[in-house]
Amino acid sequence: MPGRQLIMSFPVTATSHALPEYRARGGYGALAKTLGQLKPQDVVKEVTASGLQGRGGAAFAVGRKWQVVQYDDGQPHYLIANADEGEPGTFKDRWILENNPHVLLESMLIASYALNVRNCFVYIRGEFDLPYRRLADAVEEAYAAGLFGRNVLGSGFSCDIVVYRGAGAYVAGEASGLISSLEGKKGYPRNRPPRLTVKGLYQRPTVVNNVESLSNIAWIINNGADAFKAVGTPKSPGTRLFSVSGHINRPGVYEVELGYPWMKFLDEDCGGVPQGRAIKCVVPGGVSSKVLTGADITNLKLSHEDLWDAGSTLGSGGMIVIAEGTCMVALLQVLMRFYHHESCGQCTPCRHGTGWLHRILDRIVAGDGRADDIERLYYISKFNDGTTICGLGDAAGYACSGILDKFRDEFEYCIEHKRSKFGGNLECLRSS
Amino acid sequence: MPEIFINGQAIEARDDQTVMEVAREHGHFIPYFCWHPRLSVVGNCRMCLVEVEGRGLDIACNMPVAKGMQVFTNSEEVQAHRKAILQFITLNHPVDCGICDKAGECTLQDYHYEYSGQRSLSHDEKVRSTKFYNLSNRILLDNERCILCLRCTRFTHEVSKSMALGVERRGDISNIRPVEDRPLSEDPYSDNIVDICPVGALLSRQFLHKSRVWFLQPTPSVCPGCARGCTVQVWHRKPEWKLKALDPRQNENIARVTPLDNPAVNGPWICNKGRDLAQVFERARADEPMLKGRPVTVPAALDEARRLIGAARHPVALVSNWGSNEELETFKDKLGEVFHCFVKQDWQAQPGERIEDDLLIRGDKNPNTTRARELFGHAEPDFKDGTDLVLVWGEGFDFARLPPQARIIFLNSYLQPENGHADVFLPVSIQTERHGHYTNFEGTISAFEPCFEKKPGVQHAEDLIRALATPARGHP
Repeated sequence: MPGRQLIMSFPVTATSHALPEYRARGGYGALAKTLGQLKPQDVVKEVTASGLQGRGGAAFAVGRKWQVVQYDDGQPHYLIANADEGEPGTFKDRWILENNPHVLLESMLIASYALNVRNCFVYIRGEFDLPYRRLADAVEEAYAAGLFGRNVLGSGFSCDIVVYRGAGAYVAGEASGLISSLEGKKGYPRNRPPRLTVKGLYQRPTVVNNVESLSNIAWIINNGADAFKAVGTPKSPGTRLFSVSGHINRPGVYEVELGYPWMKFLDEDCGGVPQGRAIKCVVPGGVSSKVLTGADITNLKLSHEDLWDAGSTLGSGGMIVIAEGTCMVALLQVLMRFYHHESCGQCTPCRHGTGWLHRILDRIVAGDGRADDIERLYYISKFNDGTTICGLGDAAGYACSGILDKFRDEFEYCIEHKRSKFGGNLECLRSS
Repeated sequence: MPEIFINGQAIEARDDQTVMEVAREHGHFIPYFCWHPRLSVVGNCRMCLVEVEGRGLDIACNMPVAKGMQVFTNSEEVQAHRKAILQFITLNHPVDCGICDKAGECTLQDYHYEYSGQRSLSHDEKVRSTKFYNLSNRILLDNERCILCLRCTRFTHEVSKSMALGVERRGDISNIRPVEDRPLSEDPYSDNIVDICPVGALLSRQFLHKSRVWFLQPTPSVCPGCARGCTVQVWHRKPEWKLKALDPRQNENIARVTPLDNPAVNGPWICNKGRDLAQVFERARADEPMLKGRPVTVPAALDEARRLIGAARHPVALVSNWGSNEELETFKDKLGEVFHCFVKQDWQAQPGERIEDDLLIRGDKNPNTTRARELFGHAEPDFKDGTDLVLVWGEGFDFARLPPQARIIFLNSYLQPENGHADVFLPVSIQTERHGHYTNFEGTISAFEPCFEKKPGVQHAEDLIRALATPARGHP
């Protein structure tokens, strides 16, 4: 076990996701405590004091986001759990939705109480089938138990929840794109200002939090901000769920206490790379974070500050391990195909830039690379950075320039020799 | 009143303004494609990126002013990004200016020369898309030229409210498409999207491949289609480009009609009917005076008319509400005492036409009813017993309603069967051949200018009225 466990703290069984077992684990205790003893301001204070950071990718402090919402400004407020988990390599929220949906619901109730929210939403990815069914069942159970609806647990607090299924667009996982989609429009992200906490869903103050960020709230209320801060490192309190995939012996979702040594996690908890190969690089948190080479991560700990120092981020916790012998040109081609396909096409640099990146890489992989292609890839990445409405264009640029920075020689080789240095290999094949 | 600095110039801005608005007001031009003063901000073209000290680059159109902010609209960083944005925009754009109607007034073309001038950096094939997509019976769409600024979709959602356009698919294969059950052809304002399209993606079928825009010149005019009196520009061939090789009619055609931005009346919009003025003004014209269908000279016709007026005991005049303020005032001044005057409705709503709405279109389909009624009252034409002379000015009156015994003086511009039935017929000029003013239903007065020369046999109504008011003289 990589450190303490806050969310994955129970053995998964066929019934462990249901309400009775959740209650048996002490579930909805935090809700009772909140409604019985705490004022909404206390909840916000507690969450702010815990230093909980957003788990969706940007690591923005949850408490600071909540503080923007004025409790009694006379407007309706909305809370949305962002379950549109689409970042390639990320499948951690899926674990929560499948195996512990009630912790999300309980936390959302607490958050709704704190933010004066009457209606909250879960925007769930359309491709999620079992997670959706588990969540929908959990909502039904919760309504039947009087946890949602009018007058929750006799406290006078009312809250309703809507589970909304997306249609599978990556960009609808961006908070404002999600809101556009939830409003029934095309999932185009919106320009800031105004911030969503000022004008979000239906032009009202709206808090959009990641499923995992919200799921920590119940624990924080139960155990207090200080206990939460005692977990992890001072700058990265708590734990994180990592979904580990790629060339690794035991892929899956792991809860890791922040500050845990990275290589130890990969070697001991995840079983290392097949056939004992060396790690060529690791995508730390979804493909939108910059890759780190095996050498880079040797002495790193899994914490936000270590990753920032190394020039990357923990992102969404979608860790992809890439073993020695993988063709980075082919890998980047796959990534760019993804961004090209998922670009919403709203703003110019991303609409054309992602396609341009993709076409150049297609050409390089096909053996038609040109001498100025690498320079061009950098050019497109540079002018996508900070010029787009949402982060998709930037992310495509980061992914591209991140891999180019570290593995430029492979691209030069591929352009010069018209073939990949590693045979275009993406698999970790068993050597006979 | 926050004070901001644009390129070092201190400017007092209003709290609710964006940097784009402040910059435009004070003469700092920031290039843009998607922004439009009358539409909501979408900020998707990214052309208006400016640099703010301490905050880096952001788009000016969505940037609220903040006290003390230092904005630079032309720094090196901004210039480099503009150049790159133009690279992106032209990446899949066909650059077929040679066959594009917009060439010469295209924002993309202008900006390319102004801010980039760079060849494409791409070596790959462009993304292909549909060309000449049939958007409605009036508009064609070239998806390859489209830069997805969404001005057209926003126009149909926010201004004309037909909600007829949307975006289909995503990424670089996004396409503007009509919504299935809301046809654009039912939007009476649809042609405005052709004007606001910054590139040549939306094409007017009327104007398609008719003329290069630099052969044309605009003349300010007023749309006579309804009582709104929208100010328009009538585009016709420049005198220096009148070529003998062309069919001479082409030199005197209305090539197209576009709105003339006028906040007091119509803003930057007009309706589709206003675009079709050629259908009104280019009908067959009457160019010879006639006495009972027999062609005569102008003086002869005038003499006969004066004789009839002098002899009449109970003359009635039906005054045109297509007459300009000047003509109506002259009529009142010179002949108002002679005739018993009524205002005639020259034009009625056509079948299938939108009668009235909240945006521009008015139920009264004539331009100057307001001034005509101010001068001649609201009464409906009424022929009391003994009406022995009727002066009919303008078209649209059924001669069967005239008293059978009355003699008729008819002033009309078009070739119509009634012309020959009148005792005296005098051809008059039309709006595109004279100066004048109309007063719209709100009392706003707008001027129109002549575009073309009138034919020799045709007289301006104002001159005819003056001539009719002078005493009769003997036959030469």
